[in-house]
Amino acid sequence: MNNHLTQLGLPSAETLKSYRIWDSYFTPAYAHPGADGSSKVIADVERSLAAITKGHFEKLCWFPHVGVGTTTDNDFEQLVQKQPNVILKPFERWPNLLLGMIQLNANNVAASLDAINRWLLDGPMLGVYFPGGGAGAMTCTHRNFDPLIERIADLNGVIMQHTWFKTGGKTGPGESTPAELAELAARFPQQKFLCAHAGGEWEQGIRAVQNAPNVLIETSGFDATAGFIEMGVRELGAERIVFGSHLPSRSLGTELGKIIGAKITDQQKKRILGENYRQLLNPILRDR
Amino acid sequence: MMNRRDLLNLAVAAGTASAVLPTIARAADESSTATRQIIDTNVNLFQWPFRRLPLDDIDALVNKLRSLGVTSAWAGSFEGLLQRDVAAVNARLANACRNRTELTPIGSVNPTLPGWENDLQQCSTMHNMPGMRLHPNYHGYTLNDPRFPRLLELAVKAGLFVQIAVSMEDTRTQNSIMQVADVDLSPLPAVLENVPEAKIQLLNHKLRSPLLQQPGKCAGVFFDTARVDGTDGIPQLIARLPTGRVLFGSHAPFLIPEAALIRVHESDILDEAGLRSVLSENAKQAFRKASA
Repeated sequence: MNNHLTQLGLPSAETLKSYRIWDSYFTPAYAHPGADGSSKVIADVERSLAAITKGHFEKLCWFPHVGVGTTTDNDFEQLVQKQPNVILKPFERWPNLLLGMIQLNANNVAASLDAINRWLLDGPMLGVYFPGGGAGAMTCTHRNFDPLIERIADLNGVIMQHTWFKTGGKTGPGESTPAELAELAARFPQQKFLCAHAGGEWEQGIRAVQNAPNVLIETSGFDATAGFIEMGVRELGAERIVFGSHLPSRSLGTELGKIIGAKITDQQKKRILGENYRQLLNPILRDR
Repeated sequence: MMNRRDLLNLAVAAGTASAVLPTIARAADESSTATRQIIDTNVNLFQWPFRRLPLDDIDALVNKLRSLGVTSAWAGSFEGLLQRDVAAVNARLANACRNRTELTPIGSVNPTLPGWENDLQQCSTMHNMPGMRLHPNYHGYTLNDPRFPRLLELAVKAGLFVQIAVSMEDTRTQNSIMQVADVDLSPLPAVLENVPEAKIQLLNHKLRSPLLQQPGKCAGVFFDTARVDGTDGIPQLIARLPTGRVLFGSHAPFLIPEAALIRVHESDILDEAGLRSVLSENAKQAFRKASA
């Protein structure tokens, strides 16, 4: 294969390696892992491997469903409650590549607290993901979040909250906007929050979290619109931006392209592509 | 989720023998020159109406495209979205492209405006443009509008291909006072039955288009890659269509051009001939005048 064609648009392999890319938003089988708890995840990781290899990613973090009602499949929910280890197969297959943050359901505080204790206290998960749609979604300003955030903070867990600012308004009852995440974050100033997708409509998303210093924006989940990263660096600083790939439903091109194609310094790219995320994970990794 | 084997099965199931992946490409020119050619069928010049873009300076855009290996870019004009003095829009576009050898101007035509036929003729005769770009959703007509087949007939007579920008921006992120739905493509197959010689390229489309389920009805319809996402989205699109229908397009400078280039090859599903087909050969085969 002509090397010129298979590297188009990418920096050199040496440059990509120097970025030490840690992906905070890997979405294999995002909605359902398969009836056995992992087969669809494994298939989607395999589907993504060419891009992962080409991008020289070091780590990718995905969001397992852990039986707290984040799917509508009762058979799966019961399976994972009885045999929680079925969700671990992808980690066993790629132990040096995958990280995990559990999907929580703020509609069910008791089950979510149990899951935090089961998966963060005892490992191997490093944080939590609050979805913006599906059975587990709840707008993040709700007081149900408070006991969950407190316990996650106790355990040094990382928090990723799905957010969108959709033109025309929300399309689902459990959606959250960056402004709502900023409101939640103000109640827990010592805890960092990741604002997934920077709100999608990032011109408003960045502004909404500008005065919430404990909120960092995550970069995936929308077209590779030019100017996003430049505005983020200008308004928030590179230290408040964290890379996500959204593979395989999005692409290496769309998501890595946002960072490597931005008019920012190489040092800022390094921060966004891995350094900032590692800093967030350091406390809980240190505890392990 | 789809893997390489699934894609092969899909191609066979679709009854399009030509869509089998290793032979996706047309017979490709093996010369090193062809290997280095990249034709971007979808860029725009001037300013996006809703924000400044890092590459909305024409020289900056050309330099970026050149640095990425793009040898030819078919350029429409953001001014064609909202401005009604289309003759002036097209004159500025032609002038901007005149001394920039990489750029091929693609004029705007708005068939809801009085005298639109003159704009079409000027694209061909005055500016020597090979094609025109339509924005039905920004100009307020559907593909059922009787002016649309009339426009296609005139384009065929003038030797112009037609690009339809299905979208310019994700509807979820548009300005709240100007929400523009994607172009409804469902009337297109019926329209083309009466204008079978027309050559149309759909820009910035998503896979939802019903045309993807009816490719046999749309012999003259081509697709770009600008908003085809998913790590294997472009190979999937190719597998669902007859040979030669997918042409590289970036939608720069609104979208980051690196993103579009990486998406073509990132899954490693397309072989070298397949990559060359998307990046240049299909455009050259389909629209010879623009590629000349």
